[in-house]
Amino acid sequence: MNREKVVFGFFIILACTLNFGFFVGEIDRPELHHPGELFAAIVVNLIALVLKFGDRTHIGATHLATSLAACLQLLSAALVWTGSVYVAGDPMDGETMATIVSLSGGALVANLISVTLLIGETLRQSR
Amino acid sequence: MGDVLFLVLRRLRAPLITLIVVYAVSIAGMVAIPGVDAEGRPWRMGFFHALYVMSYTATTIGFGEIPYPFTDAQRLWVTVAIYLSVIGWAYALGSVFALSQDATFRAGAARSLFVRRVAHLAEPYCVICGYGRSGAEIARALDAQGVRLVIVDADPQRLAPIAVHPFEVAPLVLTADARRPEVLRDAGIAKPECRAVLALTGDDEANQSIAIGTRVLDPATAVIARVVDPVVHGNLIEFGGVQVIDPFRVFAANVALALRAPEVLQLEEWLTAAPGGERPSPPQLPHGHWVLAGYGRFGRPVAAALTAAGQSWQAFDPKFVPPDDAEDRVHACGGTEEGLRDSGIARAAGVIAGTDSDTVNLAVVTMARRLNPSVKAIVRRNKAFDQALIDAARPSFTFVQSDLMVHEVLQALTSPLLERFLAQVRVAGTPLAQPTIDALAAALGTTVPWVWSFDCDATRPGLAPTFGAGAPLRLSDLLHDPRDPGTGLCAVPLLLARGVIVATPAVTARSRRWVPPGSRRRDDPRTGVLDQVGSVGAPSVEDRALPPADTELRPGDSVLFAGAAGVEALQRRYLWDPALLERVRTGVEPPRSWLFRWLAARRT
Repeated sequence: MNREKVVFGFFIILACTLNFGFFVGEIDRPELHHPGELFAAIVVNLIALVLKFGDRTHIGATHLATSLAACLQLLSAALVWTGSVYVAGDPMDGETMATIVSLSGGALVANLISVTLLIGETLRQSR
Repeated sequence: MGDVLFLVLRRLRAPLITLIVVYAVSIAGMVAIPGVDAEGRPWRMGFFHALYVMSYTATTIGFGEIPYPFTDAQRLWVTVAIYLSVIGWAYALGSVFALSQDATFRAGAARSLFVRRVAHLAEPYCVICGYGRSGAEIARALDAQGVRLVIVDADPQRLAPIAVHPFEVAPLVLTADARRPEVLRDAGIAKPECRAVLALTGDDEANQSIAIGTRVLDPATAVIARVVDPVVHGNLIEFGGVQVIDPFRVFAANVALALRAPEVLQLEEWLTAAPGGERPSPPQLPHGHWVLAGYGRFGRPVAAALTAAGQSWQAFDPKFVPPDDAEDRVHACGGTEEGLRDSGIARAAGVIAGTDSDTVNLAVVTMARRLNPSVKAIVRRNKAFDQALIDAARPSFTFVQSDLMVHEVLQALTSPLLERFLAQVRVAGTPLAQPTIDALAAALGTTVPWVWSFDCDATRPGLAPTFGAGAPLRLSDLLHDPRDPGTGLCAVPLLLARGVIVATPAVTARSRRWVPPGSRRRDDPRTGVLDQVGSVGAPSVEDRALPPADTELRPGDSVLFAGAAGVEALQRRYLWDPALLERVRTGVEPPRSWLFRWLAARRT
């Protein structure tokens, strides 16, 4: 068992699961989407991104690309949240929440691809 | 660049993750701990405010407690967060500074900068592999001629002086082993702007690898290699396309030339010296018996040259191992005096001090003069700073490897036609050398001429109408001053080469590849000196030395001229302005504009 593989796999899967946790639930009901979960998803996604730095293989590059996409989507979601609640000063409504959750849904797809890559890589090693 | 970025990111993974975790924990804590607002009601900080507070706290800016004064629980957490973040930042910045000092990282960064700058070189340049004494001299000489340089050497110590040498344009420098193909590729040998690769390291094997690597990676690039070892020499000649220079054999050939045909050597030295200077006086070497001190890589070819020139010789060398070629003319000996006596210094016409120690050479000459005051001396100088020492011995002829290399390389790179002309002179000997010397002396006196070639490129605007129709262009037309057709230009046509340049409309002066030294024909009696086999796309060439003034020029001809300063620029005007040639040939200045040409056509 390789400890680096455990850590790497852990963060990639955790990034995906946290993302999913935030995403799941009706899209326009703010009470179903907790900001703490979005925060946790962003932090774990950033860590996953940094973990993928420096791998020069083709699959490493694809991994990095998926993480970049996921981070971009989640950070945009956080920006939309901040922009509407703090900068504009409006209370959270269904429309804004729908935007935020759909952005995180995009990130979820990227994270799913990342997990698929991880599984594919593992199966190919077959040990 | 990509490599360096990856290296940085890879090395900074741990500090970056530490920073993310520190921020995440601090922000999560700020959000989790309950606070109170201005009226004392319970209030929880949002993620946005928590990030804001952490950002200015962690970077030690410290705006205070925003938006409401903190509770004691919050202050406790902020205290923890401050220490955590200071540790996180110290770790991250420390890693960045450590990385910037890291030798691997610096080498990688320097390499990627070098590769980028080579890729952006848009002007012709030469790659010099090996920055020893010869390499440094050649670099300075090429730099003075305005050639951009890329210099590669494995030893950073040798490259260090480049930073302080006054170069016209700073060369691009890489510390790497040029034997490796990727280093050659990074140095840009395969780019069309690369004129030539010079393999000048002190190691024959390395020069061989560089030469062969270059030929394989880009057969169109000219390669000049300094090689002394006969086996390597043979290998490169077999391989083909590489111009091999062995300074010892070149010098030996010069000695033979000085003995057999001094005019040829005189002409050669005259035409290849620095333009504008005074004509160098050729060495006057006496015929007779020669004594050689030192019978190694210098002594052997010189001895062979003496034999070829019909001289008798004897050599002595303390390091000589007798069962060599079983030559009874060479003996191992202990003392200089004994060696000189045994080699017959009393009856000798000349002595050749050719050991690899300057002090020994000096001692040999001094001792030889004491034993035989009329003896002439040829001295080999090994170190640059011993020049005063060697000059004090008043030698007739001095061998300095780096000077000779500069001479040979410049000749090969700057004027391939001159090389061809000199090769003809060597074949023809005095019958061609003497009239050339007379013509040059009549035109220029004793100054060293500028040498250039004039290409009759029919696509040039100045020559197109001439070649298109009308009277043939004669060589004498080019010898008139374009500003004043009554006076002549101070230039001597040395060689007319047919079919050197290929006139295709797409070819411009800038994009035309320079004629690689490899395409030169070698009918060289000094066989093995500048051997050339497997010439690169050799054109059908018909050379004519000292062409008469009424020779008719054809498109594709190239004429080698020797003349005074600035004449080349004047002559070049004929390439661009058709009116000039017209005026020279008819004496009437033709109308230049369309309207006046039309009027002139109507009048006739």
